[in-house]
Amino acid sequence: MMGNRDIQKLLPHRYPFLLIDRIIEIDPGKKGVGLKNLTGNEWFFQGHSSYPPNLLLESLAQVGGVVLASKAREENPQATVQGLFAGVSEFTFQRCPVRGEQVRLKAEVLQSLSSIYKFSAEAFVGDEKIAGGQILLSFTRLSV
Amino acid sequence: MDRKKLEDTFHRLSHPFPALLIDRILETEPGKRIRTVKGVTANEFFLPGHFPGEPIMPGVMTLEGMIQSALLLLDELHSRGKITASLEKVGRLKFKKPVVPGDRVEFQVQLISQDNPLHKFKGKALVGEGTAAEADFTIKASIREVGFEL
Repeated sequence: MMGNRDIQKLLPHRYPFLLIDRIIEIDPGKKGVGLKNLTGNEWFFQGHSSYPPNLLLESLAQVGGVVLASKAREENPQATVQGLFAGVSEFTFQRCPVRGEQVRLKAEVLQSLSSIYKFSAEAFVGDEKIAGGQILLSFTRLSV
Repeated sequence: MDRKKLEDTFHRLSHPFPALLIDRILETEPGKRIRTVKGVTANEFFLPGHFPGEPIMPGVMTLEGMIQSALLLLDELHSRGKITASLEKVGRLKFKKPVVPGDRVEFQVQLISQDNPLHKFKGKALVGEGTAAEADFTIKASIREVGFEL
């Protein structure tokens, strides 16, 4: 389990674009489960009550980033890494989560080819699956 | 189209995104394709967090620009009634190169097929001659023809 401070040590993302709050399960390099609370005063809720779908993709990608970065840090605590969102495939949205809900974000590495990692990514609210598909991250270690 | 009108359009489509990511419509072929443009500046509200000291336009914002362009096409297609548009599926999305402050992003979106309520689009985000992102996505638009036109 990781709190927000630990996440900030692994990801360069900050307000207003850090879109995960906590990691509740992590298997470095393989899979992770993150949490994001949706609360009324966040910037994307101006005039709306649902979490924009593109940001849901970003939240899932950030969980993927934590999975990969935690593995790199485990191997070398000084490692500097760069992760970028590389793509999405066959991702469907059943519905968008709304204000007041807590989203559980699951990301699991399916395969990797040089610096590209393919994840299975799913989002849940309680037991209800609200979106899922595959996302691709490009991840490189800048220093050895 | 001025900014107010663009904002009203997204409001009518009940699109859940607070920021307009389109500055101008360059060209529309109603029901078929649209070209829009956004100038990316260092002052974008989301850049301080993505990333501190190294501003890169988040890929999902580029996707949002393509979605908003597609919604403008939808708006023209169904000019009457109430529409609820939502993103149903991203079939394929590729980010090819990062977009940074100073870039002018041109979104080119075309409607590929329409099987109500599903509308399939193909989109591209171009910076100069290069392609920054490409996407195939589906938007579900439920239309309720209500009221009268006066």
